[in-house]
Amino acid sequence: MWHLLAALLIGIIIGLNIPWTIPAILARYLAVSLLAGVDTSLGGLRASLEGDFDIAIFVTGFLGNTVLAAAFVYIGDVLGIELYLAAVVALGVRIFNNLGRIRRHLLKEWMGDKGTTPAKGEG
Amino acid sequence: MSRRGSQVALTIIFVLFGFMLATQLRVRPSSPGSVHYQRAEELALLLGATEEERDRLRDEVRALRDQVAEAMVATESTESQVKVLQEELLKARVLAGLTEVKGPGVTLEMHDSKKEIPPGQDPNLFIIHDDDVLAVINELLASGAEALAINGQRVVATTEIRCAGAVIMINGVRLAPPLVIQAIGDPETLHNALRMRGGVVDNLSFWGIEIKIKMEQEITLPAYTGTLNFRFAKPVQKEGS
Repeated sequence: MWHLLAALLIGIIIGLNIPWTIPAILARYLAVSLLAGVDTSLGGLRASLEGDFDIAIFVTGFLGNTVLAAAFVYIGDVLGIELYLAAVVALGVRIFNNLGRIRRHLLKEWMGDKGTTPAKGEG
Repeated sequence: MSRRGSQVALTIIFVLFGFMLATQLRVRPSSPGSVHYQRAEELALLLGATEEERDRLRDEVRALRDQVAEAMVATESTESQVKVLQEELLKARVLAGLTEVKGPGVTLEMHDSKKEIPPGQDPNLFIIHDDDVLAVINELLASGAEALAINGQRVVATTEIRCAGAVIMINGVRLAPPLVIQAIGDPETLHNALRMRGGVVDNLSFWGIEIKIKMEQEITLPAYTGTLNFRFAKPVQKEGS
């Protein structure tokens, strides 16, 4: 777990220190991609807590979702509709779902295993 | 995939994730075109203080002018009165554009757009119009230009600038682009006023209209060559003067 945090920090440091920034037009694409990245990372954390983490699914999910999210923004721009909102809403819902399940897992671990599996789909 | 391989892949993904995060965070604060609220407030304060000072100085100028007028009345010698009048006359002639003048300033060259006109776009938008020239002239005057000439035509109080077919008519003379506008004033101030973000050069460059600005140490502007006949306007004589 710690080496992943370290990796995140290294990425942030690299990103802060490179001499160029991305143009403002691309910022929207990156923002939605970033949301997809957050979602996939939380999904990975949830899967590892539930014990069915698969690295192949995680990597393809991360790359696929970020690219797909950016593509959504692009298609929205081409069609002249705010399609990125769909991506933002969908990803937002997923992020909250993942967070809820992670919270329940951690809570259950902390309270001590009572032998029951956490109910799915509860807020 | 082996456990070690999956850890490497995870690490790479997280480096990438952090990189994206940092890049995105760096874009936000420097969004162009917006002035920070705090900065705007600061500038407003500065403007208020400067305006107060201007009003005070204006009162001072008025008081001093009254003194000069009194002194002139009080002067016994007609010789000095003549001298004062001659100075006044010369000033008026410079202001009216009846004399050649020289001094530091800027030289502008305006060209029609060389951009390829997209189909369906009005080609009129890509050539220089009278209002483009007027916008430039206006900006120059607003930033303290004291004398102006366009392609050798001195701009005076009665100068018209209007489109006449494909050309621009100034002082009754037809001028075709490129237009060379010369202005006498503080070169740096004039240059900066034109180059301001969202200013006149910025706006015109959207249509591809090119404006080259050159700061000059000394330029000479020709005198106005037209006639000055006032058929309708008559000066109002004030009582006691």
